[in-house]
Order: sequence, then structure tokens, then C-alpha cells
Amino acid sequence: MSDAHEPKTETGPAPLHGILAEYATPTEILAASRKIRDAGFSRWDTYTPFPVHGIDKAMGIRMTILPWIVLGAGLCGLATAILLQWWTNAYDYRWLVSGKPFWSIPANVPIMFELTVLFAGLTTLVAMLVLNNLPFPSHPLDHIRRFARSTDDRFFLFVEAADPKFDEDSTKTLLEGTHPHAIENVLEDRKTSDALPVGIIYGLVIMTVASAVPFALAAKARYTLSRSPRIHIIQDMDAQPKYKAQRENPVFSDGRSTRVPDAETVAVGELHEDDHFYRGKDNGAWARTFPPAFRVDEVAMDRGQQRFGIYCTPCHGFGGEGNGMVAKRAEELAQGTWTPPSNLTDARIRNMPVGELFNTITNGIRNMPAYGPQIPTSDRWAIILYLRALERARAATLADLEPAERTGL
Amino acid sequence: MATAKKGPTKKTGSAKKGGSEATPDSQPKPSASVPEDAAGKVEIAGFSDKIRLGSEGGALFAKAAGLAVIALGASVALGASQGDGFKRWSHGYLVGYAVALAITAGSLFWVILQNLVNARWSVAVRRMGELFAANMPLLGVLSLPLVLPVMTGSPLIYEWADKAKVASDHLLHHKSGYLNANFFLVRMLFYFGFWTVLARFYLGSSRRQDETGGPEIVPSMNRISGPAMIGFALTLTFCAVDLIMSVDARWFSTMFGVYFFASCVLSVHATLILSLLWVQKKGRLAKSITAEHYHDLGKMLFAFVIFWAYVAFSQFMLIWYSNIPEETAWFKVRFAGGWGNVAWTLVFGHFVVPFFGLLSRHIKRSRPALAFWCFYMLAMVYIDMYWLVLPSIEVEPNVQAMDILAALGLLSALVAGAAREAGKKNLIPTKDPRLSQSLAFENI
Repeated sequence: MSDAHEPKTETGPAPLHGILAEYATPTEILAASRKIRDAGFSRWDTYTPFPVHGIDKAMGIRMTILPWIVLGAGLCGLATAILLQWWTNAYDYRWLVSGKPFWSIPANVPIMFELTVLFAGLTTLVAMLVLNNLPFPSHPLDHIRRFARSTDDRFFLFVEAADPKFDEDSTKTLLEGTHPHAIENVLEDRKTSDALPVGIIYGLVIMTVASAVPFALAAKARYTLSRSPRIHIIQDMDAQPKYKAQRENPVFSDGRSTRVPDAETVAVGELHEDDHFYRGKDNGAWARTFPPAFRVDEVAMDRGQQRFGIYCTPCHGFGGEGNGMVAKRAEELAQGTWTPPSNLTDARIRNMPVGELFNTITNGIRNMPAYGPQIPTSDRWAIILYLRALERARAATLADLEPAERTGL
Repeated sequence: MATAKKGPTKKTGSAKKGGSEATPDSQPKPSASVPEDAAGKVEIAGFSDKIRLGSEGGALFAKAAGLAVIALGASVALGASQGDGFKRWSHGYLVGYAVALAITAGSLFWVILQNLVNARWSVAVRRMGELFAANMPLLGVLSLPLVLPVMTGSPLIYEWADKAKVASDHLLHHKSGYLNANFFLVRMLFYFGFWTVLARFYLGSSRRQDETGGPEIVPSMNRISGPAMIGFALTLTFCAVDLIMSVDARWFSTMFGVYFFASCVLSVHATLILSLLWVQKKGRLAKSITAEHYHDLGKMLFAFVIFWAYVAFSQFMLIWYSNIPEETAWFKVRFAGGWGNVAWTLVFGHFVVPFFGLLSRHIKRSRPALAFWCFYMLAMVYIDMYWLVLPSIEVEPNVQAMDILAALGLLSALVAGAAREAGKKNLIPTKDPRLSQSLAFENI
């Protein structure tokens, strides 16, 4: 700050730094400012406890360039956001997210908005400090007792001796002409050392060293081997004393965690002796009738329609013609590996024994998966019952209609 | 030594608008002397100003009311010539009505807001907002072409008004607990009743103060504004849903109320600036309203250009991201073909261009430039409303003379209403204790 001046060790009276004038009201300081401005001074400033409206004009301060800097920073943030997202999403590491285009502007807008605001905001702060020469740790005015009231109820005007128009006597006369409440010569500061305070230096050193610690630890972890378990602060239920399926288990001689039931044992309710009901077989051949254990009635038909709608229609369609949404989509994609679902109403399946249909639903066929584990046994029979009704309806002929309906066609 | 003019700046006190602390000598007590003529030339805050429209008010009312009648009449005639039972005309009318409602409801919001925060800067311009808010009963009457078809069960605009359609359509039937003619009428009556009571209360209180000068009127207006603001937020949200969103009864967006609200606040600032410019052109309030007031109103206009974009994009992005057909269908129609061009016009014309256009303080302090942007933003609000309503019946944008005439007629009716209300009374709350601060304030 004071590099252009004599060293602080010099003795004798300090040279004049400037003249300070004190006022009691904003009106007074506005009038005084106009006078100093019109006298052509350039190195002077005013100090007030709150923003005084019109002081910019009274002091002849030009509009700041800060808005332009902020605008530039905002646009820079916008460009950064676009580039960043284009580079990461659409160029360097393409990754498909929920079927959206690799580079989709709508998804980028929030980041564009945020980086614009972030860049503009931080730049506003930093540029404001730079333009105002802040921070300003020490100033000769700090040693003037009356100047403390500039944060309370007094208004000050200070003209620097470094101003080319400055002359101790004439400037003082000029300032006296503005009727200040007090006027005071401010001398150069000989008491404050130019060196940074020791506390700040130590603080900076400690912070620099401390900031290297995380990097040092990361480097150590990367190039050394540790056998101790990682530090696990919140345990939750991460570690449990149990064996999971497919894990080695030293308790048993075969080393398995998952135990196999003993031979010839059947769990309660898992006997499934009824060949007709559970496997669709009647004396070794595919059954052509519904099993006695399954009750054919209206309730079963409704149930079958509902289950058919849930499990079968995605591929086979509501009419069973093999035109469900999955089949349509697969055909559209035309990937070559797709086996189209059967038309359930054609003659081949219409004439198929119910037992074979039951087997197909239970165990699957071609690329149709097994539905046995998903659909309870009686529901599978109900689906076949509904399917039979569907096939019958699709194979209807004119003879099925009432005479009255026939004439209506 | 310090090379910059601003060394250790000490101007760190809290920003204080009004300059009462800064310039005690520049705020003499407001004193309204007996008006000399119809224009009400009075002494306020150390200078004299004409604060009443006088004969200009009557002339404006005659012109605006005449224009409203002619434009609406021509629009109706053109609508009848379409031969579609006013179906197309009703949609065009709804667009114009939405803009008129945006201005009027926006004015009411603005007045409530100024009272809610006990604003000092806006006192000198507050009466303008109160006058436009007082158009509420007129808006209620002008809503009849939208309400009557619903009451007669005709699906002119709202297909949910058609009982046969509702019975055969599961979704409409499902929503009929809310979207039905009687409840619709009850809601409309409530909205306009509630808004009329509020608007009359604020204009009435403010004028009573002109006469009595009672300082206790300010806190009484401030007190009511908290509950009024909550009530306004709810009624405006539901009104936007009822009038505009239910044109496509299948679509829904919980942000729609806020979306319309953004247009309301945008329109009211444009309207305030334009009406103040007109009043000053006629030599009224010539000294009371300064570049500082325009600057502040311009800042709000600018802020709500951004707010509109923020809300519009938020509504779009949530729907775009979740990609659910029942929500995206609405945008799909509005991005297809010519409507897509309109959508892009909104992105650039309603946000990007005015953002840079209104960014500079020089623009906001320049009356001609600000006037241009106000007209421009009102036009954009109209295009926005058009884009909301018309795609539900037309595949391609097809602006017709009757649409423009309906909007022109409705806006003229608002001007006529405000001019009639202004009449021979003050355009400025002369005895509001905060008036001197509003007249004296400066932007840093």
C-alpha cells in the first residue's frame, strides 16, 4: 500500500496524507461533494454511515463497469454448463438414460441456470472487491479518533495529498468554505508496520499444511496395502452372523449353506398326487377334460378372464391372436431373434388337449417362460377355461346365431 | 497509498429506501390544499402537481368504451358468421379474457402485495393498481360468454359441460365431482365475489384516507393483506384451472396456477407502466412520478420475465422427464407443426429477447424504451394464452380477426373501467403518511 513512501523507521514529523472534513447531515456532505467535484479533484472520497442517495452524482462517480463483468461471467457460466454436459453426456462417455437423447437440452437447463448464477454471483463479489481495492487492511484514517463516527452518525469527506490539485492551504480554505463541523489534517501512518501480522502468517502456513493432509492420506491409501477392515462408523445391519445361500459353510461336510431336503420327504401341502390337476395327465396321456378337482362355473370363467388379461394379453393380445403390445413392439424392433407368440384361436391350439395347454402354461414353451411358479394351479385351469370360451367365440358360425339375429345381419 | 477513489468504503449501512433518514430536508409533510380545477392541481411535497384526470378521464372513458363496444360487437358478428355456433369465437374470446383477467387479478395481487410488505416506494403509483383491480365486477360480467354455455350444458369450450359426453367418458365422469356446471358456477361466483370485495376494500380505504387523512387506515389495510394474499393464491390457482386448464379436461398440471400467476404479475407491471406513461403524457402527476418509479416497476417487469420462464420450464421439464403419456399429450399437441413454432416464439420472444432487452438499467429508466417493452410483453402474454387454449381445437395456428378484436375489446373495457373509476378523484393517495418517501426515493 505504501510502497512508494519512506520506510516507517524514519523519524521526525510524518508528512501530510490529506485533509478530513466532518459534516452532520447528508445534505451538507452532498453540497460539499459537489464543490470538491467542481474544483476538479480526483483523489478524494466520502465516508457515510449509510448509503446517501445522490452521492454518486454529487461526487461525479461514473457508472461502474461491474454489470458488464457480471454479464460476461454469467454468459461464461452458461457456456461452461453447455460444454460440460455436452462433453460428459454426448461425447466422452455416452450413457443412455431412460430413453432420452444423449444430449438433451431440457435436462441441461437446470445446470445451465445454476452455473450462470454461480459464475455471475461469485464474479460480482470478487470483481466488486477488486474494483474497490479491497480488502484494505490499514489506512491512515483508522488512527483519527473522530473518524470512528463515520459508522454511526457523522459524514466525512477526505481529500488526499496525492491529488494533483492538492495544496495544503488552498484545499483547506476550499473545505472550510463548505462549512464543515470540524476539519483535521491527517498524517501518514508511521505506527502500523508494513509487514503482515504474525498471526495471519502462521494461520496461512497451518491452513496450507492442513489442506495437504487429505491428499497425503489419499496417496498413502493408493500405494500401500492394508489388511485391517475399513472403518465402519454406522453399522446398521451390514454385518450379520448368518450364512447366505451359495456361500461356503464349514459346519456341514459337503460345505453347503443351502441344505437339500432328505430323500423321500415331502413338505406339508406339497404332495401333489393328483396327476390330472397338477400335471394335466390322464393315465399317461394329455387330459382332454378339466380335472374333477377344478370346478367349472361362472366364477371360474370370470377369474380366468381376469387372469388372462393380466398374464397372457401382453404377448397374446386381448383376443388371443398373438398381437399383444410386447409382440407388436418386438416386431417393430425387428431384431431377428423373436419368436412370435402363437395365435391361440387357430385350429391347432383349439384342438390341443387341455392337459397339454396346462403343461405349456406351467412349464413354458419356446421363448414363453414358465408361469407355474407365478400362477396358482386352479388359476391356470381357469385361464384355460376362458381360453376355450375365447376360441369358441372366434370359431363361431352363422348357425350359432338366433334366427332373429341372422336376419339383422 | 490508496489509489482508488473508494478506499475503505464505509457505506455499509443497510439500504434504506425513501431517503427519510438521508435527506430530512427533502420531505416536507404532504399537504393537499383545496384543488383549483378539475385536474386537481395540488401542493404535494414541496411542488405542485395535477393529480386528477378531470376532463381527460371522461374523454378516455368515452373513447375506450366506444372502442370496446365496437370491437366486441365486430368480433361477435365475425364469430356468428363462422356458422359453428360460436365454438371458434368462444376460444378466441377466452384467450382475450385470460389476458384481461391476468391484468385485473395481477393488479389485485400487486395491491395486496404492496400492503403486505408495507411498501413505501410504491405509494405514489399504488392508486393505479387499485383502479385496475376495481375492474373485478366488470370481469365477472365479461365472463358470461364463458359461463353461460357451461350452464346450458353446451360443450362450446369445455367438453365436461356436456352431460352425455361425461356419461360415456370414464375420465370425464371420474372428474365430474369437480368439473360440473353447478359447482363451476358456484366457484366463479366465489372467485369474483371475493376479489371484488378485496378490490373495493383497498380502493375504498385508500380513498377514505384521501378525505380523512387518518393514519390508522394504513395498518388496517396492511392487516387484512396477509389472509387476503392466502385467499388470492388459492382462488387464482383454482380459477386458472377452471377457466384455462379445463379446456383440455384430460390434462392436469399442479403448476398451472403458478404459470398463470406469472403472466398476471408480468401483465400488471406492464399495465401500470403504460398507464402511468399515458397519465403523464396528459400532464398529470408530471412531477410526482419520476424515472425512479419507472425503474422499479421495470425491475419487477424484468424479474417476472425470468419468473415466467422459470415456472414454464419447471412445468415442462417435470412432464418431459417423467414422460407419462397422459401428461405429455398436452405438450405433444402444442409442439407439433405450427404450434411448435409458437412454442419456440415463446421461448425466445417471452424470455430470451426481453431478458437481454430489459437487463440494462438505462432501458428501465428510459420511458420510450420501457413503453416498447411493456407493449411487447403484453403481446407475448397474449401469444402465451393463445398457445394454451387454441391447440385444443385447431391443429395449426390460425389467428383470426375476431380473436384480435375480442382481445382489443376486452382490454379497452378494462381501460374504460379504470378511467371511469378514476373519474374526478385523485390518482395518488395524497394523505398516505408514506407518500413523501415514495416521492423522494432514489435507486442507488
